[in-house]
Amino acid sequence: MRVLALLLAFAVTGAQAETVRFITCPIYRDADAGKKSGCWLADDRATGKRYDVSQAPSKPDWNREVLVEGTIAQGGKEICGGIVLEPVRTSILPGACTRQMLPAENFTGRKFVLPKRNISPLSVKRDPPPPPYAARSFHLFFDFGQAFVIYQYDDYLLDEAVHWIRAAKPRAITVTGYAATSPAIVSGRTIAEDAAIARVRAAKIGEALVRLGIDRKIVTVKWQRDAAPIDVPEADGLAEASRRRVDIAVAF
Amino acid sequence: MMQLRAFILATSSFAALLGAREIALAERGDAWWTPGEGREFPAQIDYENDYGTLRVLLTGGPLATKDHPFFRPVGPRGRACITCHQPADAMSLSVETVRKRWDKTQGKDPLFAAYDGSNCPTLKQDERASHSLLLDHGLIRIQRPWPPRETKPDFTIETVRDPTSCNSGGKYGPGAGNISVYRRPRPVANLKYLLAVGFAYDPKQGMPLPLDPESGEPMSGNLMADGRAGTLHAQMHDAAATHLELLQHFDRADMARIVDFESRIFTAQQIDKRGGALNADGAEGGAEKLATSEPGQLGSIGRAVWSEFAAWETPKPGLTPEENAFRASVARGAKVFRDKTFLISDSAGINSPIGFGNPVRNSCVFCHNMSQMGNDVAPGQVDLGTTTLPFADPAPHLPLFRITCTAAPHPHYGRVIYTNDPGYALTTGRCADVGKITLQSMRGLSARAPYFSNGSAKDLRAIIDYYERRYHIGYTEQEKQDLVNLMSVL
Ligand code: HEC
Ligand code: HEC
Repeated sequence: MRVLALLLAFAVTGAQAETVRFITCPIYRDADAGKKSGCWLADDRATGKRYDVSQAPSKPDWNREVLVEGTIAQGGKEICGGIVLEPVRTSILPGACTRQMLPAENFTGRKFVLPKRNISPLSVKRDPPPPPYAARSFHLFFDFGQAFVIYQYDDYLLDEAVHWIRAAKPRAITVTGYAATSPAIVSGRTIAEDAAIARVRAAKIGEALVRLGIDRKIVTVKWQRDAAPIDVPEADGLAEASRRRVDIAVAF
Repeated sequence: MMQLRAFILATSSFAALLGAREIALAERGDAWWTPGEGREFPAQIDYENDYGTLRVLLTGGPLATKDHPFFRPVGPRGRACITCHQPADAMSLSVETVRKRWDKTQGKDPLFAAYDGSNCPTLKQDERASHSLLLDHGLIRIQRPWPPRETKPDFTIETVRDPTSCNSGGKYGPGAGNISVYRRPRPVANLKYLLAVGFAYDPKQGMPLPLDPESGEPMSGNLMADGRAGTLHAQMHDAAATHLELLQHFDRADMARIVDFESRIFTAQQIDKRGGALNADGAEGGAEKLATSEPGQLGSIGRAVWSEFAAWETPKPGLTPEENAFRASVARGAKVFRDKTFLISDSAGINSPIGFGNPVRNSCVFCHNMSQMGNDVAPGQVDLGTTTLPFADPAPHLPLFRITCTAAPHPHYGRVIYTNDPGYALTTGRCADVGKITLQSMRGLSARAPYFSNGSAKDLRAIIDYYERRYHIGYTEQEKQDLVNLMSVL
């Protein structure tokens, strides 16, 4: 029931925003607009279209295949030489690629701006989030096949969760790791996550909570395969990516 | 030839600060601190080097070193911490000092102890060749357990080349449960910066910082080339058991005294022969500033890294053209360090797994990002390639290991890796960490050549030449000189 409603919700948003999902070898365009400014491009071989995937929170490796999942940005300017995907995720896959770098040509690239999801130094004092504190869940999302807590995305989400939990002082926390184990066909290839990654994700976040000062005794760690998508703001409307996650469920 | 001797400034104001002990030291013409000599450690002491004068400050006043555990000779050879962490060498140990010590004592100084002051304890100790790594490259043998005690490694390790004979045979090497790597002593000064925790996370490992089991506080992750010790206490246990060959650790009181000393000692280049006092005319170099500043700031948020020398961009009337030109070069060097970008590629810790992409365009300050210190605010385990093929410079004098990743391949090297020092991987047991070496601080460089953990850069210029080779930066000759001048005044 709930899953169906979610899928419907995605279908509705999908009507306005077109999403793409494909596997390819990434191309680095050395458009030099300063630090961290280079462009990442990805050609969808099925359609022949070139996309600009530079806005992914974790970026490609020019030696490795990449799974692209993104939404075509409305009115995105072609400053890298590709159709802009945003939001977008790029997951590095094991397959090898020949490294390809294009010169800037006439493309300016983007000046780096600090993403909205970034954590403050410890020296910055923060007020605790105000009550009421009721049962709720937090979510972290992962790249395909990875359990890495993505910099300036997951670390921020984790930090927000812990900040709230510290103030709310819940009775119990359940950390559930998910893996997208149901096979999907992408760019003519069947891909599915290994079920074991669900456990690695969960264990990692469980350990992270403890390192951030949460009492180990109130944390339960579980894992699950066949993950369904969820539609929460932190997932940025990327249904497929939202299957690969950890839920932190907080109870009182 | 560098003259390592305590140095009295010509200015009367400074001379007035010097007590009788410093003057006596200067007359002796030798900067070496012998374990147990009992000299008082002054609140301030200056040493001459190739580029000018290094200052060492001990905040909170002078220290009686007699029976102090950092200075007291212990273990079978009568070594002390001070043996390898010498004030004149910015609390590290320059290869030049090592050679002088050898010549002066015909190799009898406890520094050359068989355990780690020779290429391998199995060698004939009275031969110079048996100490060649220390004498020629400033390297101390570091023996690490293999496999690591607390984790199951996801790689195997074999010895391909064993020029020191300490990585094969019945007692030494991976087959015998240990690995010997060779590393430079890291400076024991300005430690509040290396211990500062800027953020609660280690973005390179994608985890919150590990907690110190003793205090429950997060650890900075910026000590030791391979990050094997998270705190000064843990480091001391390590040093006592290895370098000092102590069967028993220091007691609590000794440890507290060592930490106290380590926390109070600051050092930096203070005066440059070409540019004058490094805190003159608006510049903020020198050791005092380090002692009084708040550590752990990210240069990109607060004060830009090496902006200490911004005031020197404009020439000062009354100085010679040469002096003004040198100062301008230092100020330009700081800008080159921060602003000249290049493509950083295949450097684990930066290009993987953190998500910056491979490659990523950035500058020296991307990794060396802490204000005033130039180490990494986040734990600084990065594979620059200094110890790992094909990026490492040829080093026939060093052992070579073949690493085979048994789970996932290394993100950049693949399944099989050849390295002189696996670095951080010896601590974590993860093949993805092979070749990662913790960034050092960048202060007092003039006093402690050679550079990089394996001593592969013989002087400051060689550091820049390495980066130029490694990342095809395209620095102009002027930019290279500016960077060298900058590094010489830190
Ligand atoms: C035989 C030489 C030697 C002796 C004696 C020695 N050290 Fe060291 N020290 C080293 C070397 C080499 C390193 C770098 C090790 C590495 O990176 O793996 C080091 C690193 C350190 C560091 C880490 C600094 C940093 O920035 O990472 C500290 C702190 C330190 N030593 C303190 C001590 C203390 C305290 C003693 C006495 C108990 C001592 N050392 C004795 C050679 C020595
Ligand atoms: C990709 C990250 C990175 C970048 C970019 C980088 N460094 Fe480093 N730097 C390191 C690491 C890691 C080490 C330690 C390596 C070792 O000891 O083998 C290091 C060591 C050094 C040291 C050695 C200090 C010592 O005590 O031996 C100096 C000096 C230095 N870097 C200067 C520079 C300069 C100048 C630039 C710009 C040309 C630069 N670095 C760019 C990561 C970086």
